[in-house]
Amino acid sequence: MRAWATFRRNHGIPCTNPVTAVAHCSAMWNSLAFRLWRAAYLRAVSSAFATVPLYRETWALHGRTDPVLVPGKTGSNGGALPADGVHRRLVDTAPLAGGSTEPDPARGLAGLLTRATHRPSHRLVVIVDSDVTRPPTGLPRGSRGCVLHPDAATAAGDEPVIREVVDTLRRGERVLTVGEGKDLDALTAALPAQLPPPDRVPHHRIDRPGTGPFGLLHDPLLGYLGVLRECGRLHVDHWHVYVRETAGGLAFTVLDRTSPRLVDVLIGGGVPGEVHACPKHGSPVIET
Amino acid sequence: MNVEILDPRVDPEPSGWAGFVGSHGLHPVWRYPLLRLEAWTARNPPVLAVVRDHGLVVGGLQVMVCRSWRTGRFGPPVTRRPVRWRPRWAEVYLPLHSGYPAAAFHPDADAPAAVREFERALVRWVGPGLLGVLYRAMTAELADAMSGPGRPRREIDPAAGLRPPETFDAWRASLADDVRATIDEIDADPDVRTDVGAGRDDLDATELAALLNAHRARQDARAWSGGQRSRFAGLHMDTRSPVSPAYLDALLRRSNVLTRTYRTAAGRLLGFNTMINDRATAAFHHWAALSRQDGGQPGLYLHAYAQAVAKAIERGTTELTAGRAMLDEKAALGFHDTRELHTVAAPRPLLGDRWSAAAWRRRPGSTRPRQHVPGA
Repeated sequence: MRAWATFRRNHGIPCTNPVTAVAHCSAMWNSLAFRLWRAAYLRAVSSAFATVPLYRETWALHGRTDPVLVPGKTGSNGGALPADGVHRRLVDTAPLAGGSTEPDPARGLAGLLTRATHRPSHRLVVIVDSDVTRPPTGLPRGSRGCVLHPDAATAAGDEPVIREVVDTLRRGERVLTVGEGKDLDALTAALPAQLPPPDRVPHHRIDRPGTGPFGLLHDPLLGYLGVLRECGRLHVDHWHVYVRETAGGLAFTVLDRTSPRLVDVLIGGGVPGEVHACPKHGSPVIET
Repeated sequence: MNVEILDPRVDPEPSGWAGFVGSHGLHPVWRYPLLRLEAWTARNPPVLAVVRDHGLVVGGLQVMVCRSWRTGRFGPPVTRRPVRWRPRWAEVYLPLHSGYPAAAFHPDADAPAAVREFERALVRWVGPGLLGVLYRAMTAELADAMSGPGRPRREIDPAAGLRPPETFDAWRASLADDVRATIDEIDADPDVRTDVGAGRDDLDATELAALLNAHRARQDARAWSGGQRSRFAGLHMDTRSPVSPAYLDALLRRSNVLTRTYRTAAGRLLGFNTMINDRATAAFHHWAALSRQDGGQPGLYLHAYAQAVAKAIERGTTELTAGRAMLDEKAALGFHDTRELHTVAAPRPLLGDRWSAAAWRRRPGSTRPRQHVPGA
């Protein structure tokens, strides 16, 4: 079912499911779709409290809000945890039953590419980021993903990834580069001048938002969280991510990954912001 | 005599409990704030049964009410209505201090009567789903009080102990040459740095807990593959939980807990040990070290034991205990004494039976048992 949803979004096929289709209707966002989004978050909170040591300890001993799990205990920042604290305790983010404790900084990229680039797919997707060590998964059929360290982006000709980029461009196929703007500039400069430049989507950090027209909200711990759309607003990847306003800033939850379980994480040191529905698209956007 | 059962997660500390723990020299695992931390972060949370006689606390038992030994979930939130018909069993056991019994009574208390009263109270508290009670790692005296017709009993791995000699040199002289040489090598190794202190608040409990849980998982795997005696029908009936950083942090801050850490010159944690440094009965409590594959230092535990013995002698401790595993290795360090431990199973139909306690008292040649109270 999830594979179909990913395929449908990547290929721009309209949603026919009467339950999920309401998410596309701005008029309904504040009612049923929001409740479904909220229900997914509550399930993640409940599961984390019941099975993941980090959240069990934090919320049982100090408390949380929205929802309150232990009567009388409300904790600080609504129970949200700073990203560096979660990173330090990654070993406790795996459920009791076991699981990976390794974060995936490329998580969520595949589902956002269509909206970030307005193209159904690219032959090659290159992430240029020192935090990303594994290629993205779940790309559309025919697309391949790879990663490139920013320091290697200038080593034209010697780096296998750059050779692959050059070969793909020479064949007239499209290449998409994703990463910090300056790193993408360096990569483009390292390519032969006679080749067409690759498409590019820069990373936005929650504490250093870009101006667009393209961009992906990225965090080294949680992965890709949202996309800058043509309306100029930062849209949350609400299929996979929940975001909540807390006293400590915007807290993000990865809904579809159970290990490491990342719930209510204050990224970028905790950036204050608001969550509301986009007037054009109806889906949730954040403003910082 | 009456028994009150408390859930440390939500119930306040019972009156007189801290005094009972202090006056009977019980180890920190019996302290109510630590019990609360343990209960919130356990798969099978412990509850505390407090035995009172005319209002005075005369005994206590720590009981894990278990739902499953394979569950991947913490104990259900206390706000949920208890599912009284759900099958569960109870284990009277200290999962974090397994060489000691999870029952302690005043020397003058009628332990068999207290145990039966406890069982009746537990049946009322848990509900009809209670299948029985397992009394694990009980001393022989306590096991006598819990035994009876229809209650299977068996001896399990004993706990190792040492009566410290007068001087450290005397203990050192009793060691084999290779053990002494290993201890000296670690003392002389410039890449191994150690520090120790009581009531420590300068340590990162998250780092220590991660090392301890990894060490326990490794030891458990080795014990199971080696055919541990407590294996039952090939099942890994492990009802314990990982040690939480919050619990460990609170434990290390106690004034009678000594913590020794081992680090490389670059600051990487190689191992650590906690020791309950009570004058009556000291315990080599937690030990964890990096495996050799992960860059650990072989033989580090020998040095830790040597330092623990030195501290016990310095404190004038009458007994230093060292848990239930690796008895041969501990014997090489002078821990030749062993304390017999027994497990008694009480099935549901026999819980609270008056006749088995009475029969136990009437048995030929029976005398009033001397109850074991750690540190008494």
